[in-house]
Amino acid sequence: MTDNKDTEKHEVETTGHVWDDDLREYNNPLPNWWLWTFYATIIFAVVYWILYPAWPVGDDYTKGVKTVTVTDEEGNELYSGHWNTRARLIDEMQNSASAQKQREYLESVSQASYEEILSDPDKMAFARSMGKVMFADNCAGCHGSGGQGVMPYFPNLVDDAWLWGGSVEKIEQTLLNGRQGNMPGFAQIQGQQAQDLAAYVLSLSGHEVDAGAAQRGKQAYNVCMGCHGADGTGNTAMGAANLTDSIWTYAQIPDAANLEEKKAMIKDVIQNGIQREMPAFGNRLSKEEIKMLTAYVHELGGGQ
Amino acid sequence: MSTASASAAANPAADAVYNYGIIKRFTVMSLFWAILGMSAGLMAASQLAWPWLNMGIPEITFGRIRPVHTSLVIFGFGGNALLGTSYYIVQRTCRAPLWGGKLAEFTFWGWNVAVAVGVVLYMLGYTQAREYAEFVWPVDLLIAAVWLAYLAVFAMTIRHRSQPHIYVANWFYMAFILAVLILHVFNNLQMPVSLTGLESYSLFAGAQDAMTQWWYGHNVVGFILTAGFLGMMYYFVPKQAGRPVYSYRLSIVHFWALSFLYMWVGAHHLHWTALPDWTSTLAATFSILLLLPSWGGMINGIMTLSGAWDKLRTDPIMMFLITALAFYGMSTFEGPLMSLKSVNALSHYTDWTVGHVHSGALGWVAMITFGSFYHLIPKLWDTTIHSVRLIYVHFWLATIGIVLYIASMWVAGIGQGLMLRAFDEYGNLAYTFIETVSFMHLPYVVRAVGGMFFLSGVLLMIYNVYMTITAAKRQPRTAESGMEAKPAST
Repeated sequence: MTDNKDTEKHEVETTGHVWDDDLREYNNPLPNWWLWTFYATIIFAVVYWILYPAWPVGDDYTKGVKTVTVTDEEGNELYSGHWNTRARLIDEMQNSASAQKQREYLESVSQASYEEILSDPDKMAFARSMGKVMFADNCAGCHGSGGQGVMPYFPNLVDDAWLWGGSVEKIEQTLLNGRQGNMPGFAQIQGQQAQDLAAYVLSLSGHEVDAGAAQRGKQAYNVCMGCHGADGTGNTAMGAANLTDSIWTYAQIPDAANLEEKKAMIKDVIQNGIQREMPAFGNRLSKEEIKMLTAYVHELGGGQ
Repeated sequence: MSTASASAAANPAADAVYNYGIIKRFTVMSLFWAILGMSAGLMAASQLAWPWLNMGIPEITFGRIRPVHTSLVIFGFGGNALLGTSYYIVQRTCRAPLWGGKLAEFTFWGWNVAVAVGVVLYMLGYTQAREYAEFVWPVDLLIAAVWLAYLAVFAMTIRHRSQPHIYVANWFYMAFILAVLILHVFNNLQMPVSLTGLESYSLFAGAQDAMTQWWYGHNVVGFILTAGFLGMMYYFVPKQAGRPVYSYRLSIVHFWALSFLYMWVGAHHLHWTALPDWTSTLAATFSILLLLPSWGGMINGIMTLSGAWDKLRTDPIMMFLITALAFYGMSTFEGPLMSLKSVNALSHYTDWTVGHVHSGALGWVAMITFGSFYHLIPKLWDTTIHSVRLIYVHFWLATIGIVLYIASMWVAGIGQGLMLRAFDEYGNLAYTFIETVSFMHLPYVVRAVGGMFFLSGVLLMIYNVYMTITAAKRQPRTAESGMEAKPAST
C-alpha cells in the first residue's frame, strides 16, 4: 500500500548507480523546509556578524555596529564603545537589579555599628545572607560547611568557646590579620612529673583523678600559669585555651576510653606543644565584606 | 544472503577476495573495549554520586577513571567499530579486496596496542592533560603511524575499485580519516622533556593552547563521532531497510557543508573566557549554520525508510538505526542551542554539557553501532543472529538508560546553572557552591542507574554475539564465507 504510493513518487528518480548489489540513491531534491531553514540560519549568522565583533582582519577584527555605554550610578562613563563581553560584565556588576540592591544594602549596613547591625533584624538578615556565601567560599574549606571545625587543626566555631575572643572586635581582628596559635612544647617535663601535671590539668575541668597526683601536679603547673592563668581559665589575648570548660580543641579527650588515655593525650600536648595558623583575610576581602562575615561568624557561636 | 551471492556470481568483479578476518577482529575488539569503557563510565558516574567509591586507590580515582572511560569508549569502542565497518563497506561498495596486507594488519594491532597502553598509563598517572588526547607522546606517535597506514589502506582500496562511482559512505569515512590525521598531529605538537621519559610540553601556550585543544576536541565530535558514524549510517540503514537512500543531492550538500563548517566551531567550548569576542562569535554562528547540514544526514537516514515504516515495528535492528538518527537529530539541535553565548552562560561548566555529549554518544554513536553490528556480525560469520528477542530487550534497556541519563543531566545541569545565578531579596547570591553540589546528588544517582541499564544491554549483546559466533563455527560453511578463502582471480 505505502509501497505503491512510494514507487509512484520516486519513479525515474534514482541516480542509476548501484553498489554492493542493491544500494541505490533516489535523486530527490533538497526538501524545501530544509533549504529555507538553512537560508534562515545564514541570515541569522550574517546579522550576528554585522552586530557583534566577528571577523579577523589583519591584526584587528570587525567590531560590529552595536555599541554599548556603561555608566555608574552618578552617570560617570565606565565604558563606551563596541559591544564586548567585558563591557557586559562591567554593566552587570554595576547596573543589574541585584547588584544595585546589594550595593544599597551594603552601604547602609556597613556604615552601621556592630551594635546596630546585631540588634536590627533587617540589617542582620542582610549580613547573614551575605555572610553565608562568603563563609562557604572562604572559611568552610577548613572550618567545615556548618562551622563545626575539624579536630585538631581547625577550631569549632559553633560552640561558645573562643580561643582568641568571641566579641565582634576580636573576631574582626582574627579575620583581618589571621592568628598564630603557638603553645611551646615542654619536653623537659617527663615521667612522673608529666603524669601528675596531666592529672592536675584534667582535674581543672572536673575529671575525677587521684587527689595526690593532682596535688603534686599543681607544682608543675607553674610553667603553664603564665598563659593559661592561675585558675586555668586561659587568656584570649594570646589564644591560650580555657582548661576548665571541658571544651577541647586539640587533645581529643571525649574520644578517650579511660583516664590513662586521657592523661596520655594531655601529656602529648604538654611535651610537644601546638602549632596552628589561621591565614589573614584582610588582603583578600573588602572592609565591608569582613564586617558582614564578622557578624555572621559572631552569630554562629552565639558570640560574646 | 542468497541474492548477494547470486549477483556476486553474475558480477565478475565480485570474484575479488574480501578480507573479512580483520573486520571480525575489529568487531570483537570494539565490543571488548565497550564493556571495559562503559564499566569505567559507570564507575565514574557512581563515584560522583557516592564519593567513597574512590576508595583511596589512586589508580581508580575519578580523575584517572574519567579519561580511561572517554578514551576506551571513543577510541576503543568507537574507533574499532569505525575501522572495522569502513573496511567492510569500502570492500563491498568498491568490489575490491582490502589493499595493504600487512599494513592493514598493522592498523589493527597498532590501534589496539595504543589504546591499551594509553589507558594503563592514565591509571599510573601519565597524561598529557589534553581532553580526549590524554595519550602521552610515544603513544601519539604510534597513533599517527597507524592513522597514516589507515589512510593508505582505505584510499588505495578505493583506488583499486571495480565500480565507477564512490559510494557516499566512503566519502564520509574519507573525510573522517583525513580530518583526524590533521587534528591529531596539530593538537599533539609536543616537546618531550626527555627521550626516555613520558612527559612533554605543548608547543602552544595560554589562550592559543586552549583554542587548539577545543579545535581538536570539538572536531573529535565532528569527524570521529559524526562523520565516521554517518559513513556507517549511509551503508547499514539502506542495506537493512532494503530501500534506496532518500536523496543523493542532499547527501552531497550536507556532506560538504558539514565538512566545511565543523572546523570552525570548537571555540564555542570557550565562551566567556580569555578568548577574543570575535572568535566566540564565529564559533557560535558557525554552530548555528551547522544545524541544517547535520539534519541533512538525519533526514536522509530516516526518509530512506519511507515506504517501509512497518519495519520500525517488526525489525529491532531498524529500531536501533532509526532511534540513533532521532537522537542524532536531537543532539545536533541541542548543540547549536548551547553554543549561543547567552545559553552557554547558563549551561557551561554544568552537567547539561555532559548530558548533551551522552545523548550524542549513547543515543547516536552507540545505537547506530549496535544496529550496524547486529546486521554485520551474522554476515561476517555467515549465519543468523542467535536471538532476535534479545535484540529487542537490548534496544529497550539502551533506550531507557539513555532517557534516564539525559533527563537527570538536564535536571542537574540546568538546576545547578540556575542556582549559581540566583540572587536573594538582598541582592546576594542565594546559594553557596556546596549547596548546588548536594542538590545534584539525586540526579547523579539516577544517571548512574541509567548507565547500569545501558551497560546491561551491552552485556546482553555480548552474550547474543557470542552465541551467534560459536554456533556459526559449528556449522558447515556456505558459499559466501567460502569466498573469503578463495584466492583472487584478478
